[in-house]
Amino acid sequence: MRKFLKVILNNLIKGPSTIKYPFEDSPAPEKLRGKIVHNSDACVACHLCEYVCAGGAIKMQESEDKKGIDFVVWHDTCTFCGLCEYYCPTKAIHLTNDYHTAHLQADKYNYIEKTFVKKQPCTCCGEPIVPLSLAMVEQIYGKEGDVRGLSKMCPQCRRKILWKGGVSKL
Amino acid sequence: MGELLQNIVKKSPWIYRINAGSCNGCDVEMATTALIPRYDVERLGCRYCGSPKHADIVLISGPVTAVVKDKVLRVYDEIPNPKVVVAVGICPISGGVFRESYSIASQLDTYIPVDVNVPGCPPRPQAIIDGIAMAIEIWRKKF
Repeated sequence: MRKFLKVILNNLIKGPSTIKYPFEDSPAPEKLRGKIVHNSDACVACHLCEYVCAGGAIKMQESEDKKGIDFVVWHDTCTFCGLCEYYCPTKAIHLTNDYHTAHLQADKYNYIEKTFVKKQPCTCCGEPIVPLSLAMVEQIYGKEGDVRGLSKMCPQCRRKILWKGGVSKL
Repeated sequence: MGELLQNIVKKSPWIYRINAGSCNGCDVEMATTALIPRYDVERLGCRYCGSPKHADIVLISGPVTAVVKDKVLRVYDEIPNPKVVVAVGICPISGGVFRESYSIASQLDTYIPVDVNVPGCPPRPQAIIDGIAMAIEIWRKKF
């Protein structure tokens, strides 16, 4: 009996457990997988996210003026599985904990995250390429020498330079 | 008298849900939204009803498979006007992971006019509450 009264008293003090959600914000856990955010500066356009995407939500295509690559996520077919974040070699994709996904039918095809990955001319031959991020170059070629210069070269020029004698010859 | 009744009815839309071949993930979240005291959609004046003839807002989950399509349309026709359709989960909106499957001809909005989309696989109960709140706004304007 005393135990029972204790529970009742506790519940009276605590009040109802209902959250006042639409009228008050309800915080989400930090690791919740919600809407995707793409960092176009870190992206190297390797298309791995497009390949692993379970819902077929990610599309990467060359832009019409051929000056870069359009990255598009259609949230209306995204399963929020997080495979793209897991496989992204440069951690350019991040699933935020934003779960406010409800929208009107008029916005259905505009409910996207769209970024533009810009191409730059290769410092060696001038062909437009998507530059590698510094973190990725260091991962591949180590931290010694002028690896920063390698990040702005196309794969062919990089290969040539490395064959000639490595990063130190830059 | 009719006007008075209509003003009263505006405060309390009833919800009906249709499972159009869903995996039950979204259905569980919809049940959670209504039945668990933490979310409790009845605060908004909504109530789940058992018959489509009593419904005002209809929540549809699932990718509308070939087998269930005609049945969904039949139940949808039984709901009296004005009605608001909420597509819950990515399956009815775009087909989701089942898109281009042999048993799925098209998305829900090619058969039924959809008003609100709540994507997610499944969406959070809070997102469903958001969708229902939007649907209630639309439904009140339809009178």
